[in-house]
Amino acid sequence: MGWIDRISPQTLRILALLAVLALTVLFFASQIENYFNARLFNRVSSSVAIMALIACAQTLVILTRNIDLSIGSVVGFTAFATGSLVTNNPEINPLLLAAYAMVVGAGFGVVNGLLVAYARVPSIIVTLATMAIFRSLLVEYSDAKSITSDALPKWLVDFPNVPLFTIAGVELRAAFVTSLIIVLAVHIALSRLRPARKLFAVGSNPEAAEMAGINQKAVIFAAFVAAGALAGLGGFMFLARFGNITVVAGLGFELKSVAAAVVGGVAINGGSGSVIGALIGAILVDMIDTSLVRWELVSEFWREAVLGLLILTAVAVDAILMRRLIALRVRREKARKEAAK
Amino acid sequence: MNYFKTLGLTAALLMGTSGMAFAQAKTIAGGSEVDMVLLPKFLGILVFDQANEGAQEAHAELANPGDLLFQGPTPENSVAGQIEIVTTAATNGVGAVMISNNAGDQITPAAEAAQAAGAKVVTWDSPIPSGAGEDIFVAQVDFGSIGVVMADMALSITGGSGQFAVLSATPDAANQNAWIEAMKAALAADAKYAGLELVDVVYGDDQAEVSYNRALALVDSYPDLKLIMAPTTVGIQAAAKAMQDEGLCDTVKTSGLGLPSEMVSYTLNGCAPEFALWDFRDLGYLTYYTAYGLATGQLTGEIGETFTAGRMGDFTVEADPGREGAKRILMGPFTVYNAENVEAAAK
Repeated sequence: MGWIDRISPQTLRILALLAVLALTVLFFASQIENYFNARLFNRVSSSVAIMALIACAQTLVILTRNIDLSIGSVVGFTAFATGSLVTNNPEINPLLLAAYAMVVGAGFGVVNGLLVAYARVPSIIVTLATMAIFRSLLVEYSDAKSITSDALPKWLVDFPNVPLFTIAGVELRAAFVTSLIIVLAVHIALSRLRPARKLFAVGSNPEAAEMAGINQKAVIFAAFVAAGALAGLGGFMFLARFGNITVVAGLGFELKSVAAAVVGGVAINGGSGSVIGALIGAILVDMIDTSLVRWELVSEFWREAVLGLLILTAVAVDAILMRRLIALRVRREKARKEAAK
Repeated sequence: MNYFKTLGLTAALLMGTSGMAFAQAKTIAGGSEVDMVLLPKFLGILVFDQANEGAQEAHAELANPGDLLFQGPTPENSVAGQIEIVTTAATNGVGAVMISNNAGDQITPAAEAAQAAGAKVVTWDSPIPSGAGEDIFVAQVDFGSIGVVMADMALSITGGSGQFAVLSATPDAANQNAWIEAMKAALAADAKYAGLELVDVVYGDDQAEVSYNRALALVDSYPDLKLIMAPTTVGIQAAAKAMQDEGLCDTVKTSGLGLPSEMVSYTLNGCAPEFALWDFRDLGYLTYYTAYGLATGQLTGEIGETFTAGRMGDFTVEADPGREGAKRILMGPFTVYNAENVEAAAK
């Protein structure tokens, strides 16, 4: 048996994604001057630190055959609420502040989870409604004020940009490292812990999961709450990085997070995918987005369309690669059986 | 075109210096009942709330027994929401709708329907680009003079020459686009700006995160960039923060239109040495007086008509030099903030 028969489909998928990522970098490097350098890494990694957490949260929900469109509003609200708390209590313990952000986010997750899992309303409808409701709550809560970075404690504003390691100008900054650790922790939980594995069971075959004695409702509810908590943490990171929070904070993150997850190979019908994939998906989407701004051929009005097109291409290339590899495997399997006869 | 611009500036100066210059100014009498709607681009932004405070002040002063509603869409629904609110207001039979237009010319059918239903449509802050469906525009400052002020700030910050770029709001924001065009015209009109090179215009969608990333992309694309000019309160703040975070404030400065309370720290630490803005409370106040005068029939809105807007003094209806066939009332002036006056203004 060759290597191609031994690697798991998940790993194959991630390898295919990394190939697409490399192709994208090569493409833009050929188009844009001074493109491929340490700065590119610093820019993309700082920006992805936030989206990685949100894409990871979205993945948890998508794995259970649901979707969370309210996630951008949750990020915006928690960023504002956390900023408001720390503005009024500058002496607050950093861990306590992060915990507060997660609790606020999880609170919104509870609302979504109850409506989807127990009231049995389709998640796309529930979260479409809560996206607007949570955003309106933020408008009401903010009272047209904004959080400004000079009212925040120095540790919070400085935290995202602290370089932990620097090699030849490439900086591994605190925010990015924190996000990486969290995504890895979620990945390990999803692949090793029995309760977390239930997300896959519910997503790939709800009836079978029910037969196997899995409480489907509880699993879906838990997925939304966990996603809310992660989105809350995303809101905390958002506050730390941007400092200036208005009611539009996190607008559009719902679609970006879905894009990152789907590009990262998370099946939109649930049951399969990984948060590592979603992380690479987030990196790919962010890099295409940042690079398009610098690509002179594309005007502002066409950027969104080109971004959409590139995402579709990335997904298509990934899907074709996967299909080819699986077909190849099936052929080899058959050939082996023939030979064994 | 230039002649009109000069005329506008002169008119603004006249108003600033001698409020009593226009003898036959109409006094707006209060007490009549008119329901009115003040419609911002979207809810939750400080400057729009300040405009509402000004309008409420005028509402109380004129003792209007009707309602003044401050209604706006939520941020994710700005364009569709504005159209919906104008349509609903027309159906409810309000006397006047005051819009800071964020929907470009798409608002026109709804605005025309409101006019047909008997409402006066007064725009403020951001007009309807074609002027169709609008009775009058209350301009915060002369759009041409914003261009000159931005060009002058660029000149003084860069020390006379160098590359700079614009970080705007959305690509279809009528006011920002007009200001950028005015700045380009100002740059071309005078030889003293010859050393300045405008290398790019990018859009941050008035979102902190998008603006922040766009500002960094500008720095990466143009290694010799000296200044980012952001004619939006969200963009200027995000750009200043991005330059500060990356330790670039010494080489790349930020300027544009900003709120003193939000910009004070960046002005004092040198990241944004100079920026400008006008008073949004006054803008709301003047808009209310104009709309109330039109809705009660005390004003006709004809060119040359002069009236007294309470504490702010006299104003005259004039042709809008930037939009053919449209009319405006010019408020002005605006203030340029720097390290000397920003702290006082921020309080």
